[in-house]
Amino acid sequence: MGRARDIRLAYLLLAPALLLLLTALAYPVGWEVWTSLTDLSPVNDHPTSFVGLDNYRRLSGDPAFWRAAANTVAYAALTSAVKLALGLGLALLLARPFRGRALVFLAIFLPWAYPASVSVIGWYWTLSPPIPTAYSVFMGNMKYAVDGALGGGAWAFVSVTLFNIWRGSSFIGIFLLAGINAVPPELFECAALESKSAWRRFWLVTVPLLKPFLALAVFLALTTAFADLANVWMLTAGRIVYPVLGTHAYWLAIHGGQFGPASALSLTLAPFLLAVLFVLFRMFDPPDQERA
Amino acid sequence: MLIERRWKKWVFFYIPLTIFVLGTLFPFYWMLVTAIRPDAELYRSWRAVNNAPFWTVQPTLEHFRDLMEKTTFPRWLWNTFFIAVISTGISLACGLLAGYALARLKFPMAGALGTSIFVTYLVPPTLLFIPLADIIRDLQLGNTPWALILTYPTFLIPFSTWLLMGYFKTIPKELEECARIDGATRFGAMTRIIFPIAVPGILSAGIFAFTLSWNEFIYALIFLSSPERKTVPVGVVSELIRGDIYFWGQLMAGALLGSIPVALVYSFFVEYYVTGLTGSVKG
Amino acid sequence: MAQVMMKDLNKKYDEVHAVKDVNLHIRDKEFVVLVGPSGCGKSTTLRMVAGLEEITAGEISIGDRIVNDLPPKDRDIAMVFQNYALYPHMTVYDNMAFGLKMRKFPKTEIAKRVGEAAEILGIQELLKRKPRQLSGGQRQRVAVGRAIVRHPQVFLFDEPLSNLDAKLRVQMRVELKRLHDRLETTAIYVTHDQVEAMTLGDRVVVMKDGWIQQVGEPLELYGHPANRFVAGFIGSPSMNFVEMTVADANGALWADTPGLRVKVPPASAARLGPYKGQRVTLGIRPEDLRVATGADAADYSFDTVVEVVEPLGSEILLDLKAGPNVIVARVDPTVRAKHQDKMRLSLHPERVHFFDNKTELAI
Repeated sequence: MGRARDIRLAYLLLAPALLLLLTALAYPVGWEVWTSLTDLSPVNDHPTSFVGLDNYRRLSGDPAFWRAAANTVAYAALTSAVKLALGLGLALLLARPFRGRALVFLAIFLPWAYPASVSVIGWYWTLSPPIPTAYSVFMGNMKYAVDGALGGGAWAFVSVTLFNIWRGSSFIGIFLLAGINAVPPELFECAALESKSAWRRFWLVTVPLLKPFLALAVFLALTTAFADLANVWMLTAGRIVYPVLGTHAYWLAIHGGQFGPASALSLTLAPFLLAVLFVLFRMFDPPDQERA
Repeated sequence: MLIERRWKKWVFFYIPLTIFVLGTLFPFYWMLVTAIRPDAELYRSWRAVNNAPFWTVQPTLEHFRDLMEKTTFPRWLWNTFFIAVISTGISLACGLLAGYALARLKFPMAGALGTSIFVTYLVPPTLLFIPLADIIRDLQLGNTPWALILTYPTFLIPFSTWLLMGYFKTIPKELEECARIDGATRFGAMTRIIFPIAVPGILSAGIFAFTLSWNEFIYALIFLSSPERKTVPVGVVSELIRGDIYFWGQLMAGALLGSIPVALVYSFFVEYYVTGLTGSVKG
Repeated sequence: MAQVMMKDLNKKYDEVHAVKDVNLHIRDKEFVVLVGPSGCGKSTTLRMVAGLEEITAGEISIGDRIVNDLPPKDRDIAMVFQNYALYPHMTVYDNMAFGLKMRKFPKTEIAKRVGEAAEILGIQELLKRKPRQLSGGQRQRVAVGRAIVRHPQVFLFDEPLSNLDAKLRVQMRVELKRLHDRLETTAIYVTHDQVEAMTLGDRVVVMKDGWIQQVGEPLELYGHPANRFVAGFIGSPSMNFVEMTVADANGALWADTPGLRVKVPPASAARLGPYKGQRVTLGIRPEDLRVATGADAADYSFDTVVEVVEPLGSEILLDLKAGPNVIVARVDPTVRAKHQDKMRLSLHPERVHFFDNKTELAI
């Protein structure tokens, strides 16, 4: 028997996963960091040269960047808060068995299981219909009202946010439900004996018990929103009236061919992600603990 | 359990639940109505007589027929399916082995490796698509399914590893200890005892991985260019919208058809992935 | 059939030294029980024999083979776990056949052996069921059956009865004993329950903090505990301990403490001589105390006050106070006593134990 054999087996089992992740993740991230310090571009006619922090310096002076950054933060904060609230409500609703629960599960999961790119078209069709549509006048009026009250692009912001919430809150809900199921029911029953007010029970018992799951849910919601590119791109059909960092980088790289600045731009997401990650790890032990 | 008064149950349970379900399902209903609405009705004025925004009087399958016959939609379905199945397979295999090692074996750096695999899940495509585009070009994999089959595991492996690790931890250790005493090697105990018991966990990880790859958009948008190579999510958006012309009926039909496989998978295994998520084995 | 030898066995985890210098010779066909409080190293020792834990230092041999480096599957042992560890995805039959299948036994032989074991354990009707359809007691039988079909050299039991309810536990205990008498296979049995240890073991090994405290036949441990820990661990209710001073008076030794003064019985007197003027611990089991009558020697009697009366039907347990010392006595059910009654007790002079206060060893 022996430890040595176990260790060898462990590394053997981990090898495929690590190899794939290393080549398809670590290398690209390294490449990206390096590229962000150069002016690499497939359309360059001169050899790529090292430009140091120039790309970053140029970004920090660019109002479009700051606008995209502000948009990103607002978008992430708003969607995460709403998704968490709705998700928690949903989890509490579904916590107890009732007839037809499996069907409700299915319905609730559908927005997440559905390809975002196609369901987003449904939303686009609903919220910003083209001119010759049956109800385009009505929606057009809505758009002008919202844009007029909150400034240009507000309607686009509202649609992307709505879509994100619609698609994400049920997933958060099911995730939190898994958390509720992991808490021994005696704890909830005991709380029911001790306090009559459901509201107090919720804050004093449910929320603290679910804390690790809530933290992870917030984290997932925040990171996906920060890094969101697909939703925004799709819901505005590539015509970005409401740029976030992701779409900004996409345009620079794929359409503009400017890999250097685009890489720098993508990497500005990293501090956000690391900050959230740090908070998360302070709040509870690494991921292997919270399912126990 | 608590005894509640009836009106309370309505206010705090039935009504909110109904609102939730209606809210999640309405867009799908809207898509369905649009998909079976004849063009004439689709592009009619809001104020027209007999306007019925929420249903149609003359349902038609013409959009579906157009979609299947006039576009490469069937190819997209096949492409998506092929890519999703292979990348899910690769990721599940890697995730099973890695998840087992992290959940059960003691080895130096176990914690650090587990955490780093988890953290890679959080590296978003937004950070990766630029370098990956460059790599795919260097490997001359652009515009082939392999570009996606190789990149999808970057987010599928961490995810399935993490899910399966959690599931393995809920399986009593004694089961495989007993198998090892009964005559199995460590590897044999893993494949003959632990994996069969973990079927609900494996299924739910597989379903999630399949969904994620079926739905993936950014990489597919960037790495595939010719229309007959595209996947459903990208094809529907990029080929059925030409400039400012939206083929709304076909779009909606495509949207509905394109996600039937995923919807089927979910309805078959709903019980499995709920237990897979909550994790439970009673020896 | 085989003997098991452990030589200077040690197990260290990162911080914890779980098993310390264990030396044990388990003879062929012997039923040995390892007993002790949780964390005493008994399970770790068993798991080292099974090959589930690595040996830090020392040597284990089964039969004539040193098994330190053999994987569990090659040690020719079978183990029964506390949570039964039945494979949930297999039927009872497949559970029992698994070990034989892994060893490539022919089908007919497997069927024959499973049939035999099922008959011995009375589980023939359950063979087609899945574990989750069984009750706790049935699962336990299947787990035992899975072990015996293999005809291993050694059986290992890791607290196999702990998950059963009290009544079933007693019943299974008897069955295990009968089974061992029938199969005569060497067995090592781990438990924290001293009643199980006493009733099942040919010999009992008491462990604490990784050390072996004493090895012996059940009655030997009961009658002659080697130290204060064994004395307190074996027997229920536990032995009473009172710290006393050894004093010389009227040409005899006396053990003395406020509220309690008894003569040192002649049998112990010689050994207690060197402790004159020092403090020792006196130990007396509740069943070795009785209500004093006129016939009892005054030297071995003392006055107490009744604190609590616990009638158990066949006997009564009395919590008493002799001065500040709390003492439990086990008396006949005919004794009438109530709270605050005065009562004179007498102890059985041959069954008094003395322990060194520093080493805790029996004197």
